[in-house]
Amino acid sequence: MNPLLPPPDSGAFAAFDEMVDGQGRVRPHWRSLLGALSDVRDHAGGLAEACRRLDRLFEDEASALLAAPPADGAGHWRLDPVPLPLPAWEFALLADGLRQRARLLEAVLRDLYGPQSTLAAGLVPPDLVFANAAFLRPVRSEGRPSLGPMLNLYAADLLRRPDGSWCVLADRTSRAAGVGMAQENRLMLARTLPGLFAGQAVRPLRPFLDRWQDTLQRLAPATREHAATALLTSGARHPLWSEHVLLARELSCALVEPGDLTARGGLVFLKTLRGLQPVDVLLRRIEALRLDPLEFGGSEGIPGLMDAWRQGGVAIVNPPGCELAESPLLGPLLPALSQYLLGEPLRLPAAGSHWLADPAALAALRRDPASWLLRAIHGGAEPVGPLGHLSEAQRHRWLLQLEERPRDFVALREPISSVAPAAQGDHLAPRPVLLRMFLLQDGGDWHVMPGGLARVPAIGAVPLGPLPQGGLAKDVWVLSEEGSRIQGPAAMPRPPLVIRRAAGELPSRVADNLFWLGRYVERVEGAARLMRAALNRMERGSLLPREMAELAALSAALRHAGLVAAEDVPTGTTSAALQAALWRALRDKGPIGFDLDEVARLVERLRDRMTDDMHALFLLPLRAVRIQAEARHRGLQGLEDVLAGLLRYSAGVAGAAAENMVRAGGYAFLDLGRRMERAQTIASQLGFALDQPASRAEGGLRLALELCDSVITYRSRYLGVLQAAPALDLVLADPGNPRGLVFQFQAISRLLRDVGGGPEQALLPLVAALEHRVADMPAAVQAAADPDAAAVALAPELAALEREIAALSGAMSRRYFALLPAVQSLGGEWAQPVPGGSSE
Amino acid sequence: MIWRVRHTTGYRYARPVDLASHMLHLTPRDLAWQRVLWHRLRCTPEPARISHSRDHFGNPVTWLFMEQPHDTFEVVTEAEVEVVPQPLPRAADTLRWEAVVQAARRDPAAAEFTFPSPLLPETPGATAYAAACFPPGQPVLAGLLALNGRVHRDFLFRGGVTSISTPVSEVLARREGVCQDFTHLMVCGLRGLGLPARYMSGYIRTRPPPGEARRIGADQSHAWVAAWLGGEHGWVDLDPTNDLLVSTEHVALGWGRDFGDVSPLRGIILGGGRHSLHVGVDLRPAADAVDDPPS
Repeated sequence: MNPLLPPPDSGAFAAFDEMVDGQGRVRPHWRSLLGALSDVRDHAGGLAEACRRLDRLFEDEASALLAAPPADGAGHWRLDPVPLPLPAWEFALLADGLRQRARLLEAVLRDLYGPQSTLAAGLVPPDLVFANAAFLRPVRSEGRPSLGPMLNLYAADLLRRPDGSWCVLADRTSRAAGVGMAQENRLMLARTLPGLFAGQAVRPLRPFLDRWQDTLQRLAPATREHAATALLTSGARHPLWSEHVLLARELSCALVEPGDLTARGGLVFLKTLRGLQPVDVLLRRIEALRLDPLEFGGSEGIPGLMDAWRQGGVAIVNPPGCELAESPLLGPLLPALSQYLLGEPLRLPAAGSHWLADPAALAALRRDPASWLLRAIHGGAEPVGPLGHLSEAQRHRWLLQLEERPRDFVALREPISSVAPAAQGDHLAPRPVLLRMFLLQDGGDWHVMPGGLARVPAIGAVPLGPLPQGGLAKDVWVLSEEGSRIQGPAAMPRPPLVIRRAAGELPSRVADNLFWLGRYVERVEGAARLMRAALNRMERGSLLPREMAELAALSAALRHAGLVAAEDVPTGTTSAALQAALWRALRDKGPIGFDLDEVARLVERLRDRMTDDMHALFLLPLRAVRIQAEARHRGLQGLEDVLAGLLRYSAGVAGAAAENMVRAGGYAFLDLGRRMERAQTIASQLGFALDQPASRAEGGLRLALELCDSVITYRSRYLGVLQAAPALDLVLADPGNPRGLVFQFQAISRLLRDVGGGPEQALLPLVAALEHRVADMPAAVQAAADPDAAAVALAPELAALEREIAALSGAMSRRYFALLPAVQSLGGEWAQPVPGGSSE
Repeated sequence: MIWRVRHTTGYRYARPVDLASHMLHLTPRDLAWQRVLWHRLRCTPEPARISHSRDHFGNPVTWLFMEQPHDTFEVVTEAEVEVVPQPLPRAADTLRWEAVVQAARRDPAAAEFTFPSPLLPETPGATAYAAACFPPGQPVLAGLLALNGRVHRDFLFRGGVTSISTPVSEVLARREGVCQDFTHLMVCGLRGLGLPARYMSGYIRTRPPPGEARRIGADQSHAWVAAWLGGEHGWVDLDPTNDLLVSTEHVALGWGRDFGDVSPLRGIILGGGRHSLHVGVDLRPAADAVDDPPS
């Protein structure tokens, strides 16, 4: 028996059944859906199979979006294959009530951030405003844009009571999260069970998103021809990060973090490689208190953003301050406020909640505490209850708190939600459902999304809290009236875009991340090559003196790269210590483990810049390699497998990037990072390979060819005769060898010219100088009396070259990526006051 | 009485500041007992943008935005302000303090100042400290004067031992601090009783020691308490640092729930490294002013 199911035949349980009426008849709007569901059972592999396919889709999605696993261990969102249908007439009724409620909440906000006449009239207790951290005094400064509405988006959490009427459990005015999820649910369901939709008049969600996108455009200052809109997120660690990525994509917004923005001269800009690009509309998904440290304290946010907003230089959706309307204290007051502010009775009721400052409410709770839920009126404290489900000690503690400060709490009786069928194996079982619906204001009118997010609350979960990070969701189908035509918003004429091909609009932070991603992937590859060369020699058992010398050179290179320590370097004939050190380097806390962590972190931060496929290519093989590196089966063979895995990984990533990324966009920086790192690695490794006495020059050259993956090319060109000048030409100067040094410099020059934007003017001569120095090396060796001696004499020069390439990389970082100095706040100090002395 | 005020705030940075935003509460506000005759604000370096507004409490606010690298920053505000004595009821004629608590619940403007605020969370010690001056039935002004005197007697004025982040409970334990601390303590205690209390920011004149010239620039930002006597008599200003009822020797910049609402200068800077701050306030009768007011 499923614990989520209601107890059978419990007389107290009188939940409304969404599908079946009191006489046991299937309600009309379920009939064709049930037919389609039985087709699924008969033809599409059954409901259980549909569930499995949906689960897999969502798991892939979650890992592709790098959604952090929910802290509560409940798992990611899953989608039930059975949607929740709403007939047209019922949706119309709900929509009417919700539109009124949205208008009312907007009017309340306008008043509380304006004249506060509802306070003066005694309709709103001062506690709701002045004791509430969600009342933002800086928003009530004079000069707040009087033109803009105080609410653009609104979501309501609803449930259907046993008598069949809907009521509002909670209002979501700050961010109204969930539209992206609802859209995703619809797409996934249509992909998994296309047959389910056949013959059903389900209203599409896309027109609502189109309208949203147009609305954002309209909010921009009138002077701008084409508004730049951006979705402001706190980044990949936000619990609803996947929703942010999906929404930014659906609404064609740039996805930005506070650090990407700057306020100048009363306007807001995105920091890009080309300079500052204006941002007109911010769709904010972060708390208002983190918007502007100058006015809200703390160190997060964009100093001056509130000033820009007050001046009308930027529109913020929803405007800061609208969190106030989420106060649980507001619900019981809305009937009176509706009369006062709108002159209308409230059409959609709220779940009956009571402020415990009212002695009668407190007395009712005292009589029968078990069935009540509690919400603290200030702060975002999670709701508590039902009290009957808590332990004796916990309940006692809450009741004490209530008696001590009843004014701080609102109580409501545990609501009984309706039940709707959900898949359980191949059958349907009734589960409780909650419904979140979304509204959007479009220059005066409120529009309701014809759909929503239904969810099955976990047993014992309090249905009042914010959207959990996971759970079971249902698609919501709003059925259209027979014969009615579905109309989207009128297309808004948009001016043609200027054609751009350069990388200038790339935010500096993104370019910076791509550059380092390229470097780290290449660093892993270089390390793997070096380690494999050492491994090849260890496998041979007893080593010849020549091989001993090569291993010594490789060990020195490994030490220089920080991959092994001095004591790991083989001294005698045994290389066991070196082998153990290589394993350590690959593990989680080792240097390569660290590099791989950096790769994963950068990929996470670049999530919005990659297609799903690219993203999967970057991330999924990485996990496999790491699991391999942590495996118990050690030994040389295991080591070789891991190194081969790393080399395959970097080759795969490079190929995918080259095939899929637009050249002048992010790819240029990814490739720049890669070339810069490879140039540095080649210079370093060749320096160690050639660091030999002249008598052993041949061994050094052999090693140089091996490290540059050029052995086969050399053999086919020179038939195995190893001479200094031709070998060095191949690894240093040959512009056609992608593992040679000159190739890297030429690529860097080309990439810098592609990126453009000005800084390349200063950098190109530096690159050209390095290229010429390297290109001249083989000719000098050729001309020398003793070419072998001249070859090994290059070792210190190559070491110096490595440092110069590092300096070039630093110069590039400084020119392209805004180095952000640390933020400090002033004014926290008291200026050593001296007392007034007039009474002395 | 007409006062001339000059307030200088200067920062010196170890490394250049690339970008700076400042929010200033440095303009005196007009009140029933205070009239601002003229006011001016000068800032170096020249800001890229200046905005003015009034905050939620009605205090004038100025924002300065600097977009060029700079290693010093100075704001000088000057004003001439006429102050007349505040009318005061006889203490015995004021409401019982319990009646003021009741009235405050019905008056939203007063109620705002009965709730805890960011720097002044509920502090049982402060409430108990204040309660000793408010026996049942005590007329509210009598209680306020008693508390004002008690703070003055019990606490030692000592700079440098507290900071903005020192909680009231610690001030209470140390029995020392500066005017901001005493104001916070008294505001916090009154709110604990349910009495509305404001944090006042402004200046007080320092009298010269006998036979000496007054010390220019020795004065600093000052803070005191405004408490509510009920709808009829409104707010009264009390200075616990000096055990005074505010008369004509104080000039008010503005008020808030605590220091955080009316911090004279707050800023967010990028870069700058370590910084040093110097503040100077000069409040003297306008008749003594050496230079002429701006034309």
